[in-house]
Amino acid sequence: MDAGNVQHITDMMYALRNPAGVPTYPIVFMALGVLTFALHIFFVQLMLGTAGVTIAGAFSSDPHWRRLSAAMLEVAKVSVSVAIVIGVAPLLFVQVIYDPHWYTSNVLSADWVIAFILILILAYWSMYFYYFQNSKQKGVEAAPKARWSMILSVILLLVVGYIMHNLTKQMLHPELWQSWYMPNGQMDYSGSKLHASNLWRFGFFISMAIPVAGAMMVTYRRFKMVREDADMDYLNFAADVGKKWISVGSAIALAFYIGWMMTLPETAGDFGTSFWGIAGGVALIAYALWAKVRLKNNHPLCSYMALPMAVVAGLVVAISREMLRYGILEGFFGYDFMDYKVVMDWYSTALFFITFAVLGGAVLSYYLTVAWKVGQTNGVYTPSATVDRMGTAAIWILLLWMVQFFAVGFWVWAQ
Amino acid sequence: MELISLYPTWFEPNLGSGWVIGIIATFHVLASHTSVGAAMLFAYLSYRSYKEDRPDYLDFVKRYGLFLLVFTYVAGSITGPGIWYSTTVGSPNGIGALIHSFVWKWATEWVFFVIEVVGVYMIVYLVGKVDKKTHMKISLIFGISSLATMVIIIGILSFMMLPGKEQWFAEGGYLNGFYGTNTFVQMGMRVAFMFTMTAVVGGIVISTIKDATFKKEMTRKLGWLGIISTLIGSALFQWYLSSVPEQALLVMENRLPDYFEPSIMAVLAGTLAYFIITMIQPRLLVQGFAGAMTIIILVAGLWPEETARESMRKPWVAGQYVYSNQVIGRDVPGMDIQSQIPTLEKVGLLKAHPFTPEHLREVNEGNRIQAGEFITMTYCSNCHSPSQTGIRPLHRYFPDGMTQARMEDYIRGVIEPGTIAYMPKMPMTEDEVTALASYLLLNNEGGQTAITAAIDKEVADRKQKALAKESSDSANAVISLNSTTSQEAH
Repeated sequence: MDAGNVQHITDMMYALRNPAGVPTYPIVFMALGVLTFALHIFFVQLMLGTAGVTIAGAFSSDPHWRRLSAAMLEVAKVSVSVAIVIGVAPLLFVQVIYDPHWYTSNVLSADWVIAFILILILAYWSMYFYYFQNSKQKGVEAAPKARWSMILSVILLLVVGYIMHNLTKQMLHPELWQSWYMPNGQMDYSGSKLHASNLWRFGFFISMAIPVAGAMMVTYRRFKMVREDADMDYLNFAADVGKKWISVGSAIALAFYIGWMMTLPETAGDFGTSFWGIAGGVALIAYALWAKVRLKNNHPLCSYMALPMAVVAGLVVAISREMLRYGILEGFFGYDFMDYKVVMDWYSTALFFITFAVLGGAVLSYYLTVAWKVGQTNGVYTPSATVDRMGTAAIWILLLWMVQFFAVGFWVWAQ
Repeated sequence: MELISLYPTWFEPNLGSGWVIGIIATFHVLASHTSVGAAMLFAYLSYRSYKEDRPDYLDFVKRYGLFLLVFTYVAGSITGPGIWYSTTVGSPNGIGALIHSFVWKWATEWVFFVIEVVGVYMIVYLVGKVDKKTHMKISLIFGISSLATMVIIIGILSFMMLPGKEQWFAEGGYLNGFYGTNTFVQMGMRVAFMFTMTAVVGGIVISTIKDATFKKEMTRKLGWLGIISTLIGSALFQWYLSSVPEQALLVMENRLPDYFEPSIMAVLAGTLAYFIITMIQPRLLVQGFAGAMTIIILVAGLWPEETARESMRKPWVAGQYVYSNQVIGRDVPGMDIQSQIPTLEKVGLLKAHPFTPEHLREVNEGNRIQAGEFITMTYCSNCHSPSQTGIRPLHRYFPDGMTQARMEDYIRGVIEPGTIAYMPKMPMTEDEVTALASYLLLNNEGGQTAITAAIDKEVADRKQKALAKESSDSANAVISLNSTTSQEAH
């Protein structure tokens, strides 16, 4: 690619920027995007991994496996919801600072973008179908019904993952956009093709589902062991499977990661051997080693740390991924999201952070505390006075938020 | 280079990208409005259950919650971002305008959305596992959070029609864009109709109740909720119409299909009749009846309403400054946004569009139909499909027997200056007028088959010319090389 071509592509990307600018410093959106992507992909991996355990258990005749399968289905079901809801945030932030790239990539594969919505709904319903088919079954003697629907669900989830992978990868190739819009000398307005994939990269993010599911099984043992009716044989079995999945899964994921770094496009330069290129792999190795050492004797605190540590490793990878994007778009093409026009809006910026930290923190602390305690209680859970006060505080904070929303609104309206 | 922010175009020939967005949005409105209304209903029933020690209310909450979890939460939580996806591919600058002005509002809504999703699981699965007081608190939090998601999004929806305050154009600022008469009236109207939908969809759940007395009680409760909310919503709809720009009313009078008004009236009357009948005779409330009523509301009520809201904004798609064809058609000094019309008037569309292929930048005999197609796709296809089906097909607008000259006159006199009230200005060069007229004429006479054949021929000719040029260049290079070698030998 000669300098003239690169300049033309850079001009094109800058021309596509939204002229309304952004309401705070672009780096803030980048940071939030990375953080929420790390959480999103963690829940995607948890959903896929636990769905994998569900399928493995459904085809096993071992009672422990069957039981684990049913338990992990509950996790998978909730994880789909959480993955979707958390996925909204990185989807929002990428549109703010990388709108030229995200929108172009999407339009060029528009049919798939629309298909994404339908396939995801089908995947989710398919999982629920499996759940309802088996939810009334009490024991583990009979084989689960409609196992095909769980398999179908995972396949469909992988398809939507593959679509998303392509859309993200296409963002990194502005030099090819024009040729995708006009293949063989003729315009193609259909948006019917996916244009760019790297199976190493896709395989890496998917294979991370194995160690994450492993961490879930370790945590599951720790969480359930405090109940009076805990079956330690079964729970120890779950944790052993989990530890195995962490070791084997991390090795598989590492192989994919190395493959990904070795097959980066030329525009990425020497990213694969740069600090951030290596850091992603190191994070994986560190996680596997930590799990090997610290989970060996089912240490109570470390068992709870298995999932947060996986999030930390995922966060390092998310930063690496972002640095790769920045490296290609800024390093090679000279497009720097940091120079996006800022039209500062302090009120909406502050309102978000206060809502996120104070309101979100208060409500979710209350919700999750109750959910946690219920999971460890036999019979009906009645909260302590402190937990009850947390609920009251959460309600008051919510009401105050609504009051300020309308008070500010009416004041502005009346001006 | 004078490039403007135009993306590639997605052309969906069967439905049209506009309808695709509309279908997803309509489905999402049903799912999300029902969910928010139900969340508030749950808060009320949980409170009554706690105060009156009525476990049957909580049973109902669990049944309705599970139904919502599987149907509306799954579909609603996916079709919500689905609207982003569909508008991203159908109207990237429209959604971009909203995102860049209201990113923090959406991010704030996301916080409530997270609470909502965690909350619905807790409401459903913790019935009988926590005491009633705690369940009531969980439900209250869930109800308020759900309502918050709705009031936030309505400010953004209103901006699509027009910014909250006129000052926004001069001063900018999120508050001026978000809050205004249209915002609050629309909020009231949607909250009212949200309860109507909750009452109708709730009928599906009530129909499964075995205990006749409880079924009667819940039918009456939801019936009253439905009747009152429908009446209030209808009244607010009239007020809403007074809060939209005159232009929108003009479009509504002239452009909406004939079935729009009777359809809306019939649905409102039918909904009221449905509530009254089922309140008098709860045994008539069976799953089929309630399910059919839900579909009627979706197809005959929500679809025309959402379509009307989309159509009324024309020629704008967001904030009265982004045209439906993605061009920025107005200065917004408060946001330092410049109209792109002067650039288009100066250099034409083909030179201003970042994705125009090199060989289409200048119109000539060998690319006229391709250039015309490119212009049509960019300027027209969001609202008018150049196919037989799809959204308002172009061929319906031109009589048989049009000539090139008449078509060019029409483009110069009507299309370019945007003299039709609900259509944007579409500046272009004289060469582009010729190309567009040629394409439209061919599309009118021969349809897609003729267009494809003409483009195939243009492409083949271009390739042949390129090949001929290549071989001529190599021949010249050989001659030049021979001559150089010969000179060197001398």
